[in-house]
Amino acid sequence: MLEIKNLHVSIEEKKIIKGLNLSINKGEVHALMGPNGSGKSTLSYVLSGKDKYEIDEGTIEYNEKNLLELDVDERANEGLFLAFQYPMEIPGVQTSFFLKTAINSKRKYLGHSEMDALEFAKLMKSKAEELNINTEMLKRDLNVNYSGGEKKKQEILQMSMLSPKMAILDETDSGLDIDALRIVSEGVNKLRSKENSFLVITHYQRLLNYIKPDFVHIIADGRIVKSGDYSLALELEEKGYEEISKSA
Amino acid sequence: MELTLNLDKIQSDNVSKYAKTILDKQNPYKNFKIENYKYAQLHRDITSETLLRDIDISELLRISKNISSLTSNPVDLASDLNLWKYKNDDSFFRVSSLLKRDTSSINLDLIDDKNLFLDISQINENIHFFKSSKNVINLIIMNSKANDEYPKSIFFDISNNSNLNVIHFNISNYKSFLYFESNLQDNSHLNFVSFQSDNIHTRNEFYASLNLECNFDLFGLNINNYGVNDNYSFIQHLKPSSSSREIFKSIVEKGAITNFQGKIYVDSIAQKTDGYQMSRSLLLDDISKANNKPELEIYADDVKCSHGSTVSKLDEDQIYYFKSRGIDSEMAKKILKKAFIAEIIESIKDDNLRDYSNNIIESLLT
Repeated sequence: MLEIKNLHVSIEEKKIIKGLNLSINKGEVHALMGPNGSGKSTLSYVLSGKDKYEIDEGTIEYNEKNLLELDVDERANEGLFLAFQYPMEIPGVQTSFFLKTAINSKRKYLGHSEMDALEFAKLMKSKAEELNINTEMLKRDLNVNYSGGEKKKQEILQMSMLSPKMAILDETDSGLDIDALRIVSEGVNKLRSKENSFLVITHYQRLLNYIKPDFVHIIADGRIVKSGDYSLALELEEKGYEEISKSA
Repeated sequence: MELTLNLDKIQSDNVSKYAKTILDKQNPYKNFKIENYKYAQLHRDITSETLLRDIDISELLRISKNISSLTSNPVDLASDLNLWKYKNDDSFFRVSSLLKRDTSSINLDLIDDKNLFLDISQINENIHFFKSSKNVINLIIMNSKANDEYPKSIFFDISNNSNLNVIHFNISNYKSFLYFESNLQDNSHLNFVSFQSDNIHTRNEFYASLNLECNFDLFGLNINNYGVNDNYSFIQHLKPSSSSREIFKSIVEKGAITNFQGKIYVDSIAQKTDGYQMSRSLLLDDISKANNKPELEIYADDVKCSHGSTVSKLDEDQIYYFKSRGIDSEMAKKILKKAFIAEIIESIKDDNLRDYSNNIIESLLT
């Protein structure tokens, strides 16, 4: 599904990612954990295709395609989804209109006809209910005056409506209370299947109690320093980043 | 450009002297340094190779009554030219239009229909409207394909307790210089929306005088223009407890220059005035320009007045967010431009006219 080889990335000549390798197969859930400034968010932006990041070296293959050759919207329509740590506020654009435009853009890209209004409304309502989102909220401007938790739920709603093949969750747990964390995690777990893969980026082991990963990687100073199964997350919680990175 | 104006039709020496002073001292066609006209570039002949498009008004005519044939009642405004009722320099546009043109009057109370249509580009005169009833009238003022370097004036006299909604379509003009003056008596309301698009050299002046407890809303939208397009407003609050709300938005591209200059004036006895002014410009490229100049002049101490002005470009991070959801950059930009101006379209109260305006703006957003 996703194959990152010897990735080197810099921004404004500052090296952030320094030789990162990561391979995610269909149906797998990988967790990426690391301290502030280790390159976690940079990796998520690079995968989604945000400009300003310079790829100095390395390759990223996604579904047998060269990911780095695809534009941001093409990556999204090919089934890659990034749930943002800080979702953008878009004043003047209704949330439901945004969702509909996104869904129809993907359908157009895949050569399908537009989803009719009724079908869309049904889909949105059922997905919103799963995430305990009040449908009234979807009439409001996208993310404008949403609380931190509402913004994160909105990201997961977008994800579940677009049903991506490869979803990257960038610190989706930050700013969530315990109830919202549970609801968001359930939303993610519903999407788990043999066909879909996840990369869950987080500081804390807590999220991984709800979304059980198949693999856990620890990133420090731009490269993965240790990989293991779920028990690595528990070990990390106990010992902290510094000790684990040293022992690696 | 230079205007040839005839003072012969003025009988009184006083008026003639007054007119001469304005024409000599405040003539922006000769002197580009006059403060209220400083961005309008009237001393230059602004042209463009662009062929302006025709706009389809059949839908507007279907939902409204054409009152163009009713503009035959002459009224003499030129003889009182020197009775300027506003607290700042007289408008050169007002004075020159009254000297150049005859003025016709229309009493809106004599017409039964709710939506009225008038194409001012087909009329040579200035127009003086009267409204003295409470019933809601939506007056559509069309100005299209004008190529006239002489200013033209439109006056609104709105009596006590009366209401009027005006929608001004200023689309596809080569040269058009308009002066709008609205005199609102006690407890009256005026809602004025001005859509400006596809123009080469235009200036619109909006003067309004507000008495006791009246309310004036002025919304302007300026998109897809060429050359120089200029808006000037002067809103004076003369009596207590009146409110004005003014929002101008422009999207500027293709090397066009868009200007907004607006003043709110509050007289010393106009306590409890509530005045709001916002001008926002979206610049889409590096060769276009937006000049915004907000001004407040307040002599009362118990008032609420605010103004704001922004010039920005489309937010790259917002476009990235759209793209990250599969929406291509062209579509994202169109949606963001529409979001920027949505507030102006939504200010139209009549559903049919709002839908019509929405459709026409949609087709003009490139």
